[in-house]
Amino acid sequence: MPSLSPEQQALQEKIKNMSPEELREFQKQQCIFCQIITGKIPSKKIYDDANSLAILDINPAARGHILLLPKEHYGILPQMPDDLLGALFSTAKRLSQVVLKVLKVSGTTIFVANGLAAGQKAPHVMLHIIPRKEGDGLFALQPRLVDAGVLSQVTAAVGQKFNEVMGIKKEALNAGVKSSVGEPVKEKLISSSAGLVDTDAPLPAQESVEKNLTTPKKKRRQISRKKTSSTESAADEDADNGASSKRTTSSPTQEISLDDIAKLFK
Amino acid sequence: MKCELCELIQDQRNVICAEQDVIAAVRETAVTPGQIIVFPRQHFTIFEIVPDPILQKCVFIANKIGMAVFDSLGAAGTNILIQNGIGAGQTAPHFALDIIPRRENDTLPLQWKPQQLMEEEMDTAFIELKEQIDKGFVTDTPKEIPAPKKEKIGVTEGKNNYLLKSLRRMP
Repeated sequence: MPSLSPEQQALQEKIKNMSPEELREFQKQQCIFCQIITGKIPSKKIYDDANSLAILDINPAARGHILLLPKEHYGILPQMPDDLLGALFSTAKRLSQVVLKVLKVSGTTIFVANGLAAGQKAPHVMLHIIPRKEGDGLFALQPRLVDAGVLSQVTAAVGQKFNEVMGIKKEALNAGVKSSVGEPVKEKLISSSAGLVDTDAPLPAQESVEKNLTTPKKKRRQISRKKTSSTESAADEDADNGASSKRTTSSPTQEISLDDIAKLFK
Repeated sequence: MKCELCELIQDQRNVICAEQDVIAAVRETAVTPGQIIVFPRQHFTIFEIVPDPILQKCVFIANKIGMAVFDSLGAAGTNILIQNGIGAGQTAPHFALDIIPRRENDTLPLQWKPQQLMEEEMDTAFIELKEQIDKGFVTDTPKEIPAPKKEKIGVTEGKNNYLLKSLRRMP
């Protein structure tokens, strides 16, 4: 870490003590891309609608490299509302089609970075749309076989957390309905669960997964998991999950570390 | 021609989420362990021909998995990557999004050196793209035949309704 000047240290201290709302406001003021969106900083704008703006990247990976930005300031993808995020990718799809047609390339890479470690350069969500040609030397990824044990560990750990991410949302909505906050919440619950569990007959293989996502029993389990920190009950739940779902057959479902599994990868 | 992703749907190996139209699974060959792939059940070859409702469902699932990856694998960051077309290194002829968990200094080749383009090259790219976009997005029917009509309409309506509802609820 490079040493910081007293001013920088003071700033860091200030940032540490900010509430999430203050931090977001602060980031917004500092954000170059917000200033591009408002036009304070000039840019080559190729597409502009109510929610998004597309510009040419001034540090392009290839000629015609496009940045697609939501107009509202979000630091990383998980902060964006689902509908805005979906619409952003639909716009990216149309831009990608234009790139393929106009620049006569044989592919596009759509790239998003969440976090510094992922190569994020500015704290504003952006989709890179990069025109690609064979042999251009970009993204020279070399996939390798992953150890079977690591695979089942990752599947169990991410699967469990994913169900929690989806489940918590439902719990919150349920709570809203129970305390009868109003029609809109109820409506949202219905439509959002309709999005997840399709009324048409699901394929047999997905039934168990959907059951995990939606049965009241699962919801109760997640609530109880939140209430208790006892590892014993957590282990019980895991055993339960293992019985009801094909995906969680491997027993240790506590958090695992990427560093550890990366060692096995070599 | 066989498609490895269509086969994966049959096998159900390392599946994290299996929705009616979207599947997410941990990759068996990956650039880093913990790489997760999200793709539509239906065989769409490239990004451009995936209908919006299915694309948005894929993105929704990918984003939630991204959140789960931060917590469960202790990732310091994530990338979402679509390799679209042979030129982009797409391997299976089936549209997919990849979620790549990142560690500090993991040296994955997901960076690029900025190209030193002449101003003229930038300008012509800008003019060419802008001209086409201003004319309206490309509306040519894709060569591949997309979803069977019945299913497509059902999904579209449901999703649109939901989006409309949530829009109306916004303050």
